[in-house]
Amino acid sequence: MKLQEISQQLSLEVQSAAGNLGKEVTGGYASDLLSCVMAKAQAGNVWVTIQGHPNIVAVASLLDLAGIIVAEGMSVDAATLEKAKEENVPILTTSLTTYTVVGELCQLGIPGVD
Amino acid sequence: MEGQRELRNISSPDLKDWSACMRELSLHILDAVENSLEAGATFVELAIEEDLAADWLTITIRDNGRGMSEEQLARISDPFFTTRSTRHVGLGVPLFKTAAERCGGDLTITSQLGQGTTLRATFQHSHIDRAPLGDITGTLLAVILSGSCDLHYAHRVDGREFAFSTEDVRAELGDIPLTHPTVREWLQNFINEGEVSLQRQD
Repeated sequence: MKLQEISQQLSLEVQSAAGNLGKEVTGGYASDLLSCVMAKAQAGNVWVTIQGHPNIVAVASLLDLAGIIVAEGMSVDAATLEKAKEENVPILTTSLTTYTVVGELCQLGIPGVD
Repeated sequence: MEGQRELRNISSPDLKDWSACMRELSLHILDAVENSLEAGATFVELAIEEDLAADWLTITIRDNGRGMSEEQLARISDPFFTTRSTRHVGLGVPLFKTAAERCGGDLTITSQLGQGTTLRATFQHSHIDRAPLGDITGTLLAVILSGSCDLHYAHRVDGREFAFSTEDVRAELGDIPLTHPTVREWLQNFINEGEVSLQRQD
């Protein structure tokens, strides 16, 4: 499934890299600790977090993630969005809780990394 | 969210948005200052030191509140310990400590009954899990506009420093009270400019 379809199914708001939603999503990962994400998330994964600072773009870019879903209605820093546009990293936001987002992703057939 | 921050009514048992602490160290600072005020402090010193060469971020909060006994001090990192009667768990210090330890640092508290308390939290500056300081301006405004204590603030980044005290601010304002509506905007600009001046000039 592509990020574009996930975005539509979950009514996410695309905040950056709207032209880069066509990659196949290989799986999902959720954590607010960047060290965990660095250790576990795999290339092509969609990452669910409440963090909004620019380091999330660095992590997504390094790991070649499909995109970042910032949940719980948390704000994303302007500097983060700027960086995300430069790096072509999709950031999608939602007021849904992390738990609900992950549940929905599972229902769409997006597997975890373990 | 800037400027909308307020000190919690100290008698209210509301639970905070702790998830935001994962995103901003300034919320840990606000919580620690609230603890100082609840301990009856009339003076709070807040120092934020960023030593980029040594890769440390140190936050020190010193107050002249009623202090804690050895026994209270020993239990301060236990989330089921709180001096409050309105709720039976206190998460502030344990979460602050966890955040520091997660980033290769530590949180230490020294205190003397009747003298005051000093909290010191250290973080490896470049640690991947270190949250940014966040809305320092909003945090300082909340403390200053509460009018509950004198605040000495200093933020040092390598050689640069931005520092002020509420006594200085009062002297600058003359007869205008801190609570005057225009003062908030003036303070906000003053603190914002001070913080921006600390940013790297490259």
